[in-house]
Amino acid sequence: MTLLEVRGLCVTYASRGGPVRAVDGVDLDVPAGSITGLVGESGCGKSTLGRALMGVLPDAGRISAGTILFEGQHIAGLSVQARRAVNWRRLAFIPQTAMNALDPVQRLRAQMLEVLIDRGGLKRPAAVARAAELFRAVGLDPVRLADYPHQFSGGMRQRASIALALALNPALVIADEPVTALDVIVQRQVLDVLRELQARLGLAMILVTHDMAVVAYACDTVAVMYAGQIVEAGPVADIMERPLHPYTMGLTHAFPDVHGGDMALVPIEGAPPSLLHPPPGCRFAARCPFAVARCAAEPPAMVAHGAQAVACWRADEAEDLRARAAMPTTWAA
Amino acid sequence: MTALISAQGLQKTFRSHGREVHAVRDVDFAVAAGEALGIVGESGCGKTTTARMLLRLEDPSAGRVIFDGADITELRGRALLPFRARAQLVFQNPFDALNPRFTIRRTLAEPLRNFGVPAHEHADRIAAVLQRVRLTPIEAWLDRHPHELSGGQLQRVVLARALIPGPALIVADEPVSMLDVSVRAGILNLLREARDALGLAAIYISHDLALIRYVCERTVVMYLGRIVEEGPTTALIATPAHPYTRALVAAVPVPRVVQDRASLPIRGSLSDAPPTGVGCAFRDRCLQAFSRCESETPALRGIAPGRTVACHLESGAAS
Repeated sequence: MTLLEVRGLCVTYASRGGPVRAVDGVDLDVPAGSITGLVGESGCGKSTLGRALMGVLPDAGRISAGTILFEGQHIAGLSVQARRAVNWRRLAFIPQTAMNALDPVQRLRAQMLEVLIDRGGLKRPAAVARAAELFRAVGLDPVRLADYPHQFSGGMRQRASIALALALNPALVIADEPVTALDVIVQRQVLDVLRELQARLGLAMILVTHDMAVVAYACDTVAVMYAGQIVEAGPVADIMERPLHPYTMGLTHAFPDVHGGDMALVPIEGAPPSLLHPPPGCRFAARCPFAVARCAAEPPAMVAHGAQAVACWRADEAEDLRARAAMPTTWAA
Repeated sequence: MTALISAQGLQKTFRSHGREVHAVRDVDFAVAAGEALGIVGESGCGKTTTARMLLRLEDPSAGRVIFDGADITELRGRALLPFRARAQLVFQNPFDALNPRFTIRRTLAEPLRNFGVPAHEHADRIAAVLQRVRLTPIEAWLDRHPHELSGGQLQRVVLARALIPGPALIVADEPVSMLDVSVRAGILNLLREARDALGLAAIYISHDLALIRYVCERTVVMYLGRIVEEGPTTALIATPAHPYTRALVAAVPVPRVVQDRASLPIRGSLSDAPPTGVGCAFRDRCLQAFSRCESETPALRGIAPGRTVACHLESGAAS
């Protein structure tokens, strides 16, 4: 069952140079009870997309086109009042830095109770019990509810913000780079907490990240974003094994594997285009070693290839391109 | 091996709320000319403090720093200038490491002036270093300001600034953690090439063993201020000897379909109050701790050529 269905979503920021379309025509399906990775580099629009889904765009940004259907309800244009019924209860957010989710001058207990009582309508004794249960669920000792956020380590703060997001049993949680700022061991522990909760509670989750290895570890499906658009999507195993888009191929060779051989890493030379004046064709064409004339002229649309979908004019040749993409000389500037 | 730089019994003690905090304890290691050493560990393990003491940016509470055979621990001010030219730091965050008002030309001329390189040599030195970090054609870059550059380009300038005095050693603290994945590989490759071409020694500091493996042949693992294991990087990753190293290796995410999702061989978290007094600092988090771990601090001992570990399990006393 599709829990969230996004169609043709555009988010536009006002800037001094003119309107910038940070998210440009995104389609995204999130099935119930699974983890979807949203992966891409800084500035690709992944965080903006997450914030648009939550209805928490900064003042300069607005949804300029498209629809967001969540549990059968259109939520793109909801009033602040109507949003209150959705956010926290059905749709919750875990920001990148847990400090942003937590109030530094309140004890964790007060913050949990505020959500449970004011937003969730629980009576105080039930809320107190629920707060303890949530802390245990994320691997924190309920005794620590008496602490302030600054008394927690980074990993513990991230666990507390997960507990807060889960307070009212949402159906979908959007986590924006939830482990990026953490050390590897803590990162793994937080990902395990997310996976365990997802499986036990049947949650759906969107995990926004720049790290393909985090996607490989934690996600069931993945959407790869580049310059405001989704360029490839599908099951994680398929995309890790048989990427169809040259950008995805590049990403899989771009960073070291701790158990890998002494393979040379292959950088993707160049930088993404300016979204103020995006190129008319494929946005990756200028960095793509396989670009042909058509790529610069005409934007490719997302086309299904089995369980995967990809926006690339040369997707039918993907097998050959994958072999060439593994060679550093292919990408040399 | 003749050491280019060595740490001998380095200690750093801070006072916090009237208590003594041992940020670094009894750290000994040496880096040969042309060698790359990784220092790996989590936030708070003392790896950055260790590097800052080596570079004489921080005074040790005890211990010595020996560079090229000379004790530089007590040097101050201008007396450190020749050392500074030969041991350079590559900053972690390229977005705030450069003066926003300086052009690239001025950014690179500044260290040359500081180290007394005659002005007529500047243009050639700047051109050569920009070639090395592949900011070419150089005329296109010389007069630009930092705000006109992407993160990857900024990091190339940061690297160029470290290389231009002609150092024998560079120290890089998480050199790519602020960069996008697609450009990290380019910077890591440049660091490898610069080392090979110039015969540089390097010390890399990171919590990411995958990165360390790519650039360092030897690695020390730090936990709560002490070295707990040292060895050739590939051997240390393939057969980690210290339980903490095992957890660190298991925690690194791998970009592959087949995943080992077994729970990590470690208890608790770094933030739980570490044990004080004698005994192994890792014992409360160790799945294999036994009585001796409480009563005796394990010393580093050799277990194979070039490999040492500080763990009672490795001394055979566990059985």
